Amino acid sequence: MSLTLYHYLSLGAVLFFIGVFGVLTRRNILSILMSVELMFNAANLNLVAFNRYLHPGPLLGQGLVLFTIAVAAAEIVVGLALLLAIYRKRDTVYVENFNLLKG
Amino acid sequence: MTPVLFYLLAGILLCSAICTVTLRNIVHAALFLGLALTSVAGLFAMLEADFLFSAQLLIYVGGIAVLILFVVLLSGRREDLHARQLNEQWLGVFLVCLVSCLALWKVYAAFSHGLPGTSPPSSTTQPLGKLLLTEYLVPFELISLILLAALLGAVYFTKSEP
Repeated sequence: MSLTLYHYLSLGAVLFFIGVFGVLTRRNILSILMSVELMFNAANLNLVAFNRYLHPGPLLGQGLVLFTIAVAAAEIVVGLALLLAIYRKRDTVYVENFNLLKG
Repeated sequence: MTPVLFYLLAGILLCSAICTVTLRNIVHAALFLGLALTSVAGLFAMLEADFLFSAQLLIYVGGIAVLILFVVLLSGRREDLHARQLNEQWLGVFLVCLVSCLALWKVYAAFSHGLPGTSPPSSTTQPLGKLLLTEYLVPFELISLILLAALLGAVYFTKSEP
């Protein structure tokens, strides 16, 4: 039995929903950022698998993954900077205390 | 041989991903995130994406995971180790994720007999470089703007109050 696209896509789906679970249930903002990284990786895995199986030859999918990685790095840097700023002001990392806009 | 390697990497990836989202100690969660990112790099290598394999190791494992670990150590407190880390909705969210995952699995059954192209494996670095400077030229220039904005934003948000 050989590996097909189905294996990689299933793995990507499971990884993505593990990430969704983390984003929706974790209380710590840092864990939420980590779960977002897992979701990014699931998407990258799908892109590379599609590139390899459905469209071999030009590496358009892999080029897209490079951009995703760059955007993910930018996202995590700004997210962590915001987190540190909020942590300095509110002295907490739990999202239920981040209710500045609630009035 | 190859399926065994795939299942091994997939097992490591899923176990460490589950540990990342469920462990109570956030330092351990961050370390398991590093392991998960490394196994994704291994899967990239299995998909013959050698440049992405090294980029994943350099940027994700060497950059993002270490950065997260730094912030974990900066913002952690002793009482966090014993605090509950999941909120009250975890059971509902788990069921939603399970059902969506099964639905997606059914959809993906259409892809169950796609075999890879039979081109001999070759280095992807040179084609990717050509692609970035021809077809992806505009996004390639735009991403430098995004990185500059992220740099400025990070400096602005973390600078201490005068």
